[in-house]
Amino acid sequence: MEESRPLELTLYVAGQTPKSVAAIRNLEKICAEHLDREYEIKVVDLKENPKLAREHNIVAIPTLVRQLPVPIQKIIGDLSDIEKVLVHLQISAAA
Amino acid sequence: MSVAGAPATEDIHDLRRRLAEAEDTLRAIREGEADALVVRSDDRDEIFALSGGDDAYRAFMEAMDIGALALDAQGKLLYANAAVPELLGCDAGQLQGKGLATILGADNGRILSELIGNAAAGRHQTQMVIGAGAEQRHLVITAAPLRLAFNTGTALTMTDVTARARAAAAQESERIGRAVMASVNEPVIVCDRKGIVINANAAVGTIIDFDPVGRRFDEAFPRIFPIGSGVMHADDLVVIANDGNALKALEASAPFADPPKELLVSVAPLTLSGEAVGGCAITLIDLSERKAIEKRQSLLMRELDHRVKNTLTMVLSISGRTISGSHDLADFRTRFTSRLQALAATHTLLADASWAGLSVSALIQTELAPYVSSNGPKLLTSGLNFSVDPDVAIALGLTIHELVTNAVKYGALSRDSGTVEIAAQRLANGMIELLWTERGGPSVEPPHEQGFGHTLIARSLKRGEGTGATVEFHPGGLMCRMVVPSAD
Repeated sequence: MEESRPLELTLYVAGQTPKSVAAIRNLEKICAEHLDREYEIKVVDLKENPKLAREHNIVAIPTLVRQLPVPIQKIIGDLSDIEKVLVHLQISAAA
Repeated sequence: MSVAGAPATEDIHDLRRRLAEAEDTLRAIREGEADALVVRSDDRDEIFALSGGDDAYRAFMEAMDIGALALDAQGKLLYANAAVPELLGCDAGQLQGKGLATILGADNGRILSELIGNAAAGRHQTQMVIGAGAEQRHLVITAAPLRLAFNTGTALTMTDVTARARAAAAQESERIGRAVMASVNEPVIVCDRKGIVINANAAVGTIIDFDPVGRRFDEAFPRIFPIGSGVMHADDLVVIANDGNALKALEASAPFADPPKELLVSVAPLTLSGEAVGGCAITLIDLSERKAIEKRQSLLMRELDHRVKNTLTMVLSISGRTISGSHDLADFRTRFTSRLQALAATHTLLADASWAGLSVSALIQTELAPYVSSNGPKLLTSGLNFSVDPDVAIALGLTIHELVTNAVKYGALSRDSGTVEIAAQRLANGMIELLWTERGGPSVEPPHEQGFGHTLIARSLKRGEGTGATVEFHPGGLMCRMVVPSAD
């Protein structure tokens, strides 16, 4: 049942810091090249609204949160290590 | 079920998860995976950049087109923005691995080293060329001291000024081109693709007396008809060049010039940039002088041919007459050689004078020189300062030779007391009369038969009415009266 639900990812960034910019770029690349299932991505700029960090208890930026499927998974950094991202969040087609 | 006072399994699981999360966050911050933090307080949450100032500056540096580098005190590369490898034509890995000096090459490496040395005292700048051919780049490199944590390094910026350098080179090239055109002695005209004259050097003024710039070529230079090229109209020259073809050294007439000229026309396409033809360059070389020289040469060749034939005829005649008047072969050889030498002496004088008129004074001195001194007491001359044509000169030379040899053998010059007087005067009809008078020699009697010398004297100077020579054998000495036309 959960496999059929779309993957929900939220990327928390802080304005245009180099790693925030890199994380957005790398996430776009991962989705385009490695995801063959339905997904929803939300990018939250905490510089605009820092309080939104509370929902997922975000401390370090950038952080990518996999909300669905549960359990929630987090990975901190600019997502440049694609293999690490795929394994950690178990979001690849093979996962 | 949970035991009162002890945490439930879910709580422990949650606590472990949160602990793992916290540890992962700390690791990420320690290892530089995060560059901003959320700091939470009771009333508000704030975002802090972990190294905001440097990163913002670095992001700015990365966005610049100008190459920016930082070197440590030993000249080792600490940082280079993305523009640097692009400017140097290498990748970032090569730059980091090989070092800046190696990438620049030996010569530029030395320039860089010197620049860095100078920069220790303040900002310095230099320019260098890297790469070759189309990939060649001109870089302006500025070096300034850079304060680091424990010592002072060097900050370098690299600016690509290739476009500026090429524009300056093109401008210089154009200036040289104009200077070359101005210094060329032959008329050169530059036209655009429409055949409008856009440049013409000063030498064009030798063909036309107005500035052709701004006019159509076929209007400024009408009726140029290159001979035998199939070009019928001046404008055809521009069309041929626009098609990328060149014509070389076509002879053409320019009847519009004053005086009309014969020209050598060349046209070549003008390639301004790349392969595109931007017009044409037309060279007009004035052939008039060369044509005149060729005409003169042709005349001289015909004249030479004529003279050689005349001379050979004369030599044959001298030979035949000398044979008939000689006692034996030795006598013939002496007389014949002597007469040919007289002929050769006159030829030498004529050659020196380019076969123009010849001074009679010089001619007589030359012919008499082997026998009598022109400054001595045995020779008296007067009125010899006139010229004769080459044909007359040859005949007169031979006549004088016969007279002097006769005088030496039998006449006045055979005695110490004898003298010869040569006096000339202009007659009323414009002719020149020359009187050869011998005195003080042995008594003279008329010869029984006429020898070659006498025949030559009597015949050779005959040049129409009133001219010629007569010999009179007076007892006191021989007298010869010669009348020749003057060349003056």
